[in-house]
Amino acid sequence: MARGLKLMWLFIRVSLQNLAAYRFDMYARIGMAFMHVGYELLGVWIIFNRTNEIRGWTVYHMLVLVGVFRMVAGGIRIIIVPNMRLLLQDIHNGKLDFVLLKPVNAQFLVSVREFVVWRFTDVLLGASVALYGCVKLTGTVSPEALLRFSVTLTAAFAIVYSVWLMLATACFWFVRIENIEMVFWNVFEAGRYPIVIYRPWVQGLLTFVIPLAFITTVPAAALSGEDSKIVPYAPVVATAAGVCMLLVSSWFWRFGLRRYSGASA
Amino acid sequence: MTAVARSFFAFLRKGIAVMLQYRGEIVLWAIWGLVNPAVSYALWSAAAESNADGTIAGFGRGEFAAYFFAMMIVGHLTQAWDTYEIGHLVRSGEMSPKLLRPILPIWEALAGNLSYKITTLAFVVPMWCLFAWLVRPTFDTSAWQLGLGLIAIVLGAVLNFVLNYVFALVAFWTPKLDAMGELYFGACMLWGGRFAPLDALPDILRWLSGLQPFKWMFAFPSELIMGRITDPSEAFRGLGIQLAWIAVSIVGFRALWSVAVKRYTAVSG
Repeated sequence: MARGLKLMWLFIRVSLQNLAAYRFDMYARIGMAFMHVGYELLGVWIIFNRTNEIRGWTVYHMLVLVGVFRMVAGGIRIIIVPNMRLLLQDIHNGKLDFVLLKPVNAQFLVSVREFVVWRFTDVLLGASVALYGCVKLTGTVSPEALLRFSVTLTAAFAIVYSVWLMLATACFWFVRIENIEMVFWNVFEAGRYPIVIYRPWVQGLLTFVIPLAFITTVPAAALSGEDSKIVPYAPVVATAAGVCMLLVSSWFWRFGLRRYSGASA
Repeated sequence: MTAVARSFFAFLRKGIAVMLQYRGEIVLWAIWGLVNPAVSYALWSAAAESNADGTIAGFGRGEFAAYFFAMMIVGHLTQAWDTYEIGHLVRSGEMSPKLLRPILPIWEALAGNLSYKITTLAFVVPMWCLFAWLVRPTFDTSAWQLGLGLIAIVLGAVLNFVLNYVFALVAFWTPKLDAMGELYFGACMLWGGRFAPLDALPDILRWLSGLQPFKWMFAFPSELIMGRITDPSEAFRGLGIQLAWIAVSIVGFRALWSVAVKRYTAVSG
């Protein structure tokens, strides 16, 4: 465990040094992060200029959701996306051999090799928007709401990580699919807004079949203390869903790894 | 001219062959064009339903369904993506052999654009039918609107392709900056009416959208097809504005291209 953390810290330091080498690029990207949030806030303004609420979600509920969406989207790109892309490349060109030979758990190592540190801008901007919406909504951020939020957000990241690990593992069989991540982004797009905007059967689909509801809607509702309206006992159910997904994806990874024969072409 | 045409059809055949080879991947790309308007439809129809009269700017649930169904088709047929691609071509040096050929690289890009749209039809058309069956759009379209709408789609596609290419040429100066693609894409979403019908925008934004070319690529063909533009003279005026923007874009392309090629220094080989 201690060795794992030390290793992770080392990778973070290397990523920071890489970042410092391309400073102009970093400033440009941070500027882009502000632009993204700006676009999303503009979207909220456009909608609520024409209506006061959407199925019980007011403009402040929506701000919380936009903030959470940005936090999750940013968090995914800090650690999950870069590592899974690296894993895909390694599967393609056979370099995964070098990872497997190292005396560390392979799943751990392929998940922490790269960090895109400047993406923390997204997380900070998203958190600010979400907290602002929450304070406007409930007057305060209660410790209980914050706890429910942390639990459901952690579960959200566990689910997203598991989905990505499974998508990447699928490439042991379908080496040709380079853009397999489009599968994720296409579905994630539907999480930009609360799932209550969809018809009941689509909501059911997005909660129980594709657990998209747990990724943005549930944490956002948890922050304003309304998560039980989306899913009963939301923190418990979300945690259970997260743990299940982690177990399944980890099993799938080991199953796929057995199929990997090294492609040192 | 015949030499250009012959090369163009050769590029087109090659492009279709490549697309068929990567059919799994192009389907993954095409799905986004289905999900995005479907999500916008869900959002706007839910918002309209929350209002007392059930409408926003004259759009009820059925009209939003018609608008975003039309936008799903128009958005797919008029899309262009060279702002994302040319930076990569310049960085990797793949642009160099293209510049040596006695035909402008824009023709190859156009052939690639068309071959994607042709090959994805087999996948998107059934999906369009499924979406229409699920959301039951209310159309109020007569034959002349449909006919002019199809012309408007072609003109919108030409306009978007040329203008997108002009913006992509910035890559000859700063190949590392991928921001241009994102900016252009954001403009299409907001000012083109892909996120919301332009009539639903706040006044100041609607006014701003009228000054820009993007609504003529997306919103105008969609509104024509759903039957929202009822005055023929307004429709013809719109087609004229499309042609004017195309002319401006082509002039812009010719001017910028000659400067850009002189600026070009090959990166790697």
